[in-house]
Amino acid sequence: MAEKETYFFRATDMQMVEMFLSQECAYECVKELGELGLIQFIDLEKGTNLFQRSFVPELKRADEMERRLRYLAAEINAEGIKVPIEYEIPPAPNSTATESDLETMIGTLEDELKEVKKNLTALRNSYVDLMELKQTLIAADIFFRKGSGSLWSVPTNSYSLEEGDEGGRLHFITGVIDRDKVGTFERVIWRSCRGNVFVKTVEIKDEMTDPDSGEIVEKNVFICFFQGNQLEQRVKKICDGMSCRVYPCSEKTSRRHEVRDQVTTRLAEMEDVICQTQEHRTQQLKDIAVDIRSWIVKVKKWRSIYYTMSKFNVNDTRTGFIAEGWVRTCDLENVKQALKRGATTSGSVVMPILNTVGSSMPPPTYHPTNKITKGYQVIIDAYGVATYQEINPAIFTVITFPFLFGIMFGDMAHGLFLFLFGAWFIYKESYFDLRKHLLDEIISMLYHGRYIIMMMGIFASYSGFLYNEIYSKGVDIFGSSWRMPNDDQTYTSSDSVTLDPKYDYGPPYYYGIDPMWILSENKLTYLNSYKMKLSVILGLSQMTFGLFISLSNYRYFGRVLDIWFTFIPQLIFLECIIGYMCFLIFYKWFFVDAGKSNPSILITMIDMFLSIGSGIDSDDKFYEGQEFVQLCLVIIALCMVPIMFAAKPLIEKYQRNKDVADYEALSYDSDDEDLEEREKAEQAAELDIWVNQGIHTIEFCLGVISNTASYLRLWALSLAHSELSEVLWDMTMYYAFEWLDWDEGGCILLIFIFAAWAALTVSILLCMEGLSAFLHALRLHWVEFQNKFYDGNGYKFLPFSFSLILENEENLEEISAI
Amino acid sequence: MGDMTTFNIDSGYFEGLVRGYRSGILRRNDYHNLVECETLDDLKLHLQGTDYGPLLANDPSPLIVQTIDERLKERLVHEFTHIRNQCVQPLAQFLDYMTYGYMIDNIILLITGTLRNRPIAELLPRCHPLGQFDELATISIAQSPAELFNAVMVDTPLAPFFSECVQDENDLDEMNIEILRNKLYKSYLEDFYAFCKKLGGTTADVMCPILAFEADRRAITITINSFRTDLLKDDIENLYPKCGILFPEGLKYLKNAEDREEVRRICERFGPYKDLYNGVGDGPNDKTLEDKFFEEEVKMLMLSFEQQFHFGVFYAFVKLKEQENRNIVWIAECIAQKNKNKIDNYIPIF
Repeated sequence: MAEKETYFFRATDMQMVEMFLSQECAYECVKELGELGLIQFIDLEKGTNLFQRSFVPELKRADEMERRLRYLAAEINAEGIKVPIEYEIPPAPNSTATESDLETMIGTLEDELKEVKKNLTALRNSYVDLMELKQTLIAADIFFRKGSGSLWSVPTNSYSLEEGDEGGRLHFITGVIDRDKVGTFERVIWRSCRGNVFVKTVEIKDEMTDPDSGEIVEKNVFICFFQGNQLEQRVKKICDGMSCRVYPCSEKTSRRHEVRDQVTTRLAEMEDVICQTQEHRTQQLKDIAVDIRSWIVKVKKWRSIYYTMSKFNVNDTRTGFIAEGWVRTCDLENVKQALKRGATTSGSVVMPILNTVGSSMPPPTYHPTNKITKGYQVIIDAYGVATYQEINPAIFTVITFPFLFGIMFGDMAHGLFLFLFGAWFIYKESYFDLRKHLLDEIISMLYHGRYIIMMMGIFASYSGFLYNEIYSKGVDIFGSSWRMPNDDQTYTSSDSVTLDPKYDYGPPYYYGIDPMWILSENKLTYLNSYKMKLSVILGLSQMTFGLFISLSNYRYFGRVLDIWFTFIPQLIFLECIIGYMCFLIFYKWFFVDAGKSNPSILITMIDMFLSIGSGIDSDDKFYEGQEFVQLCLVIIALCMVPIMFAAKPLIEKYQRNKDVADYEALSYDSDDEDLEEREKAEQAAELDIWVNQGIHTIEFCLGVISNTASYLRLWALSLAHSELSEVLWDMTMYYAFEWLDWDEGGCILLIFIFAAWAALTVSILLCMEGLSAFLHALRLHWVEFQNKFYDGNGYKFLPFSFSLILENEENLEEISAI
Repeated sequence: MGDMTTFNIDSGYFEGLVRGYRSGILRRNDYHNLVECETLDDLKLHLQGTDYGPLLANDPSPLIVQTIDERLKERLVHEFTHIRNQCVQPLAQFLDYMTYGYMIDNIILLITGTLRNRPIAELLPRCHPLGQFDELATISIAQSPAELFNAVMVDTPLAPFFSECVQDENDLDEMNIEILRNKLYKSYLEDFYAFCKKLGGTTADVMCPILAFEADRRAITITINSFRTDLLKDDIENLYPKCGILFPEGLKYLKNAEDREEVRRICERFGPYKDLYNGVGDGPNDKTLEDKFFEEEVKMLMLSFEQQFHFGVFYAFVKLKEQENRNIVWIAECIAQKNKNKIDNYIPIF
């Protein structure tokens, strides 16, 4: 095969290269390569621990910077500052010198912010203190006012006695406690003081913010009355343990009001100060927010360069690095240019050297994609990444996938909606591309599949047009070709009509299914038979196509044996059985006159195998000499089985033996024990080959039948779809039109019925059925199509590229954007 | 059979979770790498490559051992509470039982602290987060075990374990605290044992031997610690948890033991503890009895993962993770103090 054409169907040519980079220019060269994204470096230090490699200090510095940036980003987000979503991606920092500038700057910013935050928290703390004191004073008013009633009467008496008699005096403690601790607090006090302490609490109505966490907390003011020193100690201890704040509070109303006024003035003052500090801080954060993403990018790039360099081998003299990696052959020149640029910028005297080397490792697979093919490539890669340079099925999938989907989802209206949905995403592409991280998982999946969805919509509409179905109704576009059995009779909707092609058919309908079938009694019988045959024909075409792709692979890789003993027998086997069935289908369509005989294809196929060689009744016969042809086909097909199974291993064994004989002829002094062991290993290997071959043969032979049967899902799903939409129509809209009384508000009811119908159409027919048809199309490609040729044992080409690395950068996404 | 058919209805999800957590436990290989670290930042770098991932990413370097310890604990607590908050009975009860042990430890810690006149605000952060409860902070008011029970503990789930201490009006001094701890632990272990027995099935099969081992370990430790005290033999016997293999025969001998050698002879009479003393000694290459107990425990806990449909995995996971935390902190400590002679004294788990 010619070299050029392979790029389209097969993975791009890869080349292993080896680079010698001097110490001075390594950083710049890697940077240039990272901007371009050309080379997939191989880890040459695999055995070494991460922290034992070179450049650990740099990586640690990068970690530290990233931590600081994360802190800054978190502060910016907490403040609710938003920045425009578009920003310029800066190039990687030039050399380590400028990088340390950035490092110190980020460091100072973090320290400053932390300092300001500390002050702010301290301010807020004292603010909260004062607030709580104020609340306590307000609440105390309530306590003491209530106290003038019965509850307070006893204590007031003891007040009047007081002065000299300390023991009888009633003391109290006031303070503030978290609301959720009130229950425990009261209980513990009651228990530990044996009910001798009177506790009262009042909820604080105002919202309080916790200065450290910034969360809103609910608190209560409490007051405890008790007698004696011991109890006081105890209550204080409990308050201490429950982290309540105790505030002093006078029992005299006038004194309390005095303090309250003072506190209120101080609160007002503090509010000003807090406000100013806050403003200053917000301004500072806003300034940072403008640049922070470019800093994140710079640090990320810087870090990834050093991370990549830690994969390099340090040469013995410690003057440079040896790097290995995969490059697309067509990019070799670009890599050279990049290295040259890197060397010039760094001013290195020693030029980097680039050598192409051979490698025993399988190269990575790279398929160039564009916006449209990317989605399909993802579908194929999800099954398995193509082995290097085997034919990439994604290219065929671009058409076959939506086509098979359309067959199962055939409805003009439903397809149109799907198309519009995909098209809307495509229209909004530039908007969503910047905001990918804002989409949730499911939406983002739909977004990535937007081209697939649009194409599926187109194909679904097209096959809907062929099926002549729009919401399960038909449209008469070209004028039906059927005549009614009795032209003079008027048909009502309750009459049933059976169409009989013997009598009622005129010239063929121009395109698709004649709309008259929708009304006919035998619609299903006709459509089922038609769609089943269609499914088998499509199945055979796709499977045969798959076999020919395998031929192309065999030719490309020069596996001549496989062409003769795998591909050809497989093709003959498939065509003799399923191919013949399709031939009968076409034959019946073109040559069998419905009026005369009606031979069944299914029965013919079964008889072909079960009663080999027996005669066929003339009624069931398609053509003269059918028995002989079928006998030949069966015998040929069966003969292919042993060829598929045995031919290749036998020939390979023969060749191997010949090689061994040649080898042994050369070396006389082979050890007996050695020989024995080798023979044992050989036997095991041979058994392995036979078992493998057996499995493959059985799989293919059974697959010919089961895969064909599997393609019948095209018919089944399409039947299910049209039946569902018909039932839905009949159960909702049909009833509405038939039974509703238009004069008595029936049209209002129709609105609701229509809403129900529309909702069910979207949820069941579009979403559920769409998903199911998608999955079935997926399966047909992964299993029935790809098992004919696809190996899928490769791995993806993931070049060292800044844009790839930044795509997955979480820190960038965390910064909220406008 | 019962377990197999119905276990997953309520607890299957959590068993799955905990088995997932388990696979994050460090392997021997990881320990080998950790031991090779030169600084704590190296340690951080290596932990990034394990299941811990970005555990320490937001802590500014230079790291200190305490931060590592805190983060490890936070993580374990996070995983535990995640399961505890979602599960239903009887798993919820089982998990609560696991926290009771930590609650007892916390109570003792606080009482000892107050006895030494430390402020409560300084003590509280040192309590194990799994053993937190509201009343914990007010413990300082208690002067005697009886008061402790009446004023603080009566509303907590630990109340039943105080049954033996309700009448105890002695002042809380060092000795009495130790006795209180052991009494609480004894009731707790016996209760937990009975609970597992009641759950039955595989849970009982797995948990009972583990708890029995725990009980015997306490009995042996109590005996050894009581050698140079003036405790009466009968008082000592009262402290032994009565759900181990040593009960009742072994405990009888044990209470009369006079020195380590005798304890050793008694242990060797019981099959499971026959090899316990192998390699125990004071030499440089010998291990302490405590380490041997830990090793034995780790072995039992590891095996509990071999069976399915039981609660033992939750217990085992928390205990193993604790052991792992101890290991990491030990290694970190050795690295921080630049003293690598004993760095290999960790107990590898898998």
